[in-house]
Amino acid sequence: MNVVETFGKVVEKAAAKSPSLGRGVLRTGWELEDLAFQYRPHRESYPADQYLAKLMMDAMLAPLRSPDESAVCSIFTPCELVHEAGLHPYNVEAMSCYLSASFAEQGCIQAAEDDGLSDTLCSYHKTFVGAALNGLLPRPRCIVYTNVTCDANLLTFSKLADIFEVPSFMIDVPMSVTDESVRSVTDQLHELKAFLEKTTGRPIHDDDLASRVARSQRTLQRFETYQRERADKYVPADLVTPLYSAMTANILLGTPEEEDYVEKCLRDLETAPPKKGKTIYWMHTIPFWSSATKDYFLFKEKAQIVGDELSEVCNSDFPTTDPYEGMAYRMVHNALNGPIERRINAGIRHAKDVHADGVVWFNHWGCKHTLGASRIAQKAFQEAGFPTLLLDGDGCDRAHGGEGQTSTRLGAFLEMLEA
Amino acid sequence: MSHTMHYICKYTPIELLSAMGAECIYANHMPDGFGVSETMIGSNICGFGKSLVDLAESGDVHELVLTNCCDTIRSVSDVLRTEGKLPYVHMIDIPHVDTNCTRDQLTEQLKSLIASYEQYSGNHFDRKKFIGALKIARAQCVQPNQPYIAILGGRAGIELHKLCLQEMPLMVQNLTCVAGRKIGAGLPSDDVLETMDTDALLSWYAGELLGQLPCMRMLDRTGRKQLYNDPNLRGIIYHTIRFCDFYSFEYSEIKSHVSVPIVKIESDYTTGASGQLLTRLQAFAEEIEMTYKDTPEIFRKMFQGRPGKGTTASGNGFPATADSENPTVSGTSVETADYGNGNGTPDRNHSVSAYFAGIDSGSASTDVVILDQDANIVSGIVLPTGAGASMSAEKALNAALEDAKLTRADISRVVTTGYGRTAIENSDKSITEITCHARGAHFLDPSVRTVIDIGGQDSKVIVMDQDGRVLNFVMNDKCAAGTGRFLDMMARTMEMTLDEMSLKGLTYKEDINISSTCTVFAESEVVSLIAENKATDDIVHGLDKSVASRTASLAARVGGTAPFMMTGGVSRNKGLVKALEEKLGARLVISEKAQLCGALGAALYAREMRN
Repeated sequence: MNVVETFGKVVEKAAAKSPSLGRGVLRTGWELEDLAFQYRPHRESYPADQYLAKLMMDAMLAPLRSPDESAVCSIFTPCELVHEAGLHPYNVEAMSCYLSASFAEQGCIQAAEDDGLSDTLCSYHKTFVGAALNGLLPRPRCIVYTNVTCDANLLTFSKLADIFEVPSFMIDVPMSVTDESVRSVTDQLHELKAFLEKTTGRPIHDDDLASRVARSQRTLQRFETYQRERADKYVPADLVTPLYSAMTANILLGTPEEEDYVEKCLRDLETAPPKKGKTIYWMHTIPFWSSATKDYFLFKEKAQIVGDELSEVCNSDFPTTDPYEGMAYRMVHNALNGPIERRINAGIRHAKDVHADGVVWFNHWGCKHTLGASRIAQKAFQEAGFPTLLLDGDGCDRAHGGEGQTSTRLGAFLEMLEA
Repeated sequence: MSHTMHYICKYTPIELLSAMGAECIYANHMPDGFGVSETMIGSNICGFGKSLVDLAESGDVHELVLTNCCDTIRSVSDVLRTEGKLPYVHMIDIPHVDTNCTRDQLTEQLKSLIASYEQYSGNHFDRKKFIGALKIARAQCVQPNQPYIAILGGRAGIELHKLCLQEMPLMVQNLTCVAGRKIGAGLPSDDVLETMDTDALLSWYAGELLGQLPCMRMLDRTGRKQLYNDPNLRGIIYHTIRFCDFYSFEYSEIKSHVSVPIVKIESDYTTGASGQLLTRLQAFAEEIEMTYKDTPEIFRKMFQGRPGKGTTASGNGFPATADSENPTVSGTSVETADYGNGNGTPDRNHSVSAYFAGIDSGSASTDVVILDQDANIVSGIVLPTGAGASMSAEKALNAALEDAKLTRADISRVVTTGYGRTAIENSDKSITEITCHARGAHFLDPSVRTVIDIGGQDSKVIVMDQDGRVLNFVMNDKCAAGTGRFLDMMARTMEMTLDEMSLKGLTYKEDINISSTCTVFAESEVVSLIAENKATDDIVHGLDKSVASRTASLAARVGGTAPFMMTGGVSRNKGLVKALEEKLGARLVISEKAQLCGALGAALYAREMRN
């Protein structure tokens, strides 16, 4: 049993004794990890990715340090408004990932299932709900979420509002990608501003919001440049960096720190060697905990994950005259909203940007949208010239198992690409 | 021209569709099992979604209107639009909240539906017919005023509703997510209607649709409380569908708060697991009778002649037999293969010093093939995999060496494959069984283009080119259904060995369907069939068909073409082979060395490494 595994057991035991004790142990462990990222970063990673690991850890610690200054949110919530309200995004998907990385997810999942939630529900949702039920995660100031682009959001976040007994706000994004939908969401974002002002007692200034949204646009533009320019370069990759990037590209979008990260990425490319091995563009979440997946992609010159669709769900060409309209446009035009062709076409475009040798469509257990579309997606990617692997698994729940199958599928796929 | 439109949900504007000449039919039948849907939309999806795809692909349906209830229905829409053969499919984007703004949005959706359907059908929206349909809908908004049991939760098909009606001692109301449609209660008077233009009428109608008792996809679900607080409610049958997560949230909220008896049942939206459901429903009926025994006047009927529950031929346990421990090895623990030289002895040339070994470490058996430098098989061994992959591999390799009268020093290169491949020490390389099976199959029969391997732990279909290179492959989903392990479990349930099972099912009389997609559900189904005294041959044939369907679905998914070769120990199961050939519509090539195919491929790769 390794140190982290032991830590997870200690957290679970402490939480069983007293929720506040469990929270304390969890926070202490993560604070130590934060120090490690600062003083002993992973040497294999480039500076930008070392910076990103610390940035992400800080983002996870903020709600534990000051929960009352945090808003639980779903990944595609436009967090510029949350930041302008002086709140830390307290992201469900990311927090569940960190609980899993700390080997503390099993007790949470069990708690959620014991409460009656289905075992086929997405494990990110079950982990966070279970952690809220057993008191491992602290009560936030409020909850802000959207139906984009997971139907489970509608249930999970309203349940969290009941558990935490805090106010919540849902942004209902129509499936139709039209100007009318953008107008509808724009109106809702104005209501969200009022909700946040009322909840925090702090005013949100539209000029500051406009600057922040303009920074979001610059950041997305530079990230698009980075993805294109990395196509023929070798950037050492692990399994978590693409996930961090996916998280920060959403919940920290518009912050100076996220902009810094993207600039550092571009600087790293200046000295990066030419491309090595096979490059994979990844659709949906990554099973970062899986030994079988690590065997093939953890700092391997032979194969790397060079992009994840979740970090590129919206283009930079959104209107910025009105920041509310800009954010609404991004939500409606999110690649995962609307018919499946939008998601697939975005994936193909981004895979082309990075000159990917192949695509993995990860069928995360519980994600019905991804599972249901997998056959169409595989066909479309292959017609676009990308050999595509449908990989079944779970991005968060290590008890899902199937490591043997994962290893065989990935191994055979890479052998196919090399043949 | 007459049109028949199928719809799925109470939020569907059926009055509007009927005003354009469509006869609206509620698609709510639970099928016996699933067909092409598993190829098109996958297995790990709500069964209702799969049943819709099958319905749409059946050719019996031409027009379908969907609502974006959930991600499964989104996927159904995507699949039918891009892959399906329906002439007309339309998705309505129902908002999640009921406000003036969202009523306007839905009004626009209704106009879009009118435009789309007018263009497709050539019919036109008739305002008078629309108002007439609304009046009929209003007349149907009647709440029965007598004690009842409610089916709540995820949709219950007609068959489940009938089963509940049959078993419950009280009237049963289907109030699941899509039922309980109530439209038209607030229909304005004729005078007012005359003053409303069509836009205003549609806006009012959008409000009626959104204002119904909410399903769990709506943001404000407080209206659902009336479902549990109705004074006539006497019990709740709470139904969830596997892979539909919405209603597990409601169940978790209400399970300990409601004041009437409640039972939770789960189905995969097929009629397959009815034996299991029946037992639960009968027990619940008994609970209802006990709860209300002091007010017997509420019962419309009493239990009479209900069959006894639960006794099965196999009892409670599933005793293991020594032979059924290993699905690929029978009788003796070691089995040697035919060497392909006609005399059953190793074809050795001792003047050649280099030999090459391939080890296939599977979950059920460990197979070893030794080749000489001319690619002649000098030994082929199959041993059951024991506690450790490494130890089993060592044991199998030693047995192969002994069989070939060689020593370890004679082996120039060793390549390992299979699940335990990386755990085996002292090998020169490990390669996945996908690549090795393709290579081995190509060696055995170069004309083969698709390899089907049903192993103990998984099933796989591999498509290859004329040189034996893998073009594509697919493996079964996480569930054990369709694998050797599934057959093993079912053989235990039926108290027979796998060898006995492999000879059953060839002379069946009744064509039974085992429809459950989940191994556990399928096992329950088999237990029910045993209890019904179904013939063993018939049940085994049903199981063979179930595995064959899954395997054929995998082959279709990956674009497998004939000639097909079947490898692995399950290829000795005659009943399954026959069922699979029927499903594929093609003969299966089954080599005498079928079980050694992976090890053979590994040995061929080892031979390639000689330089």
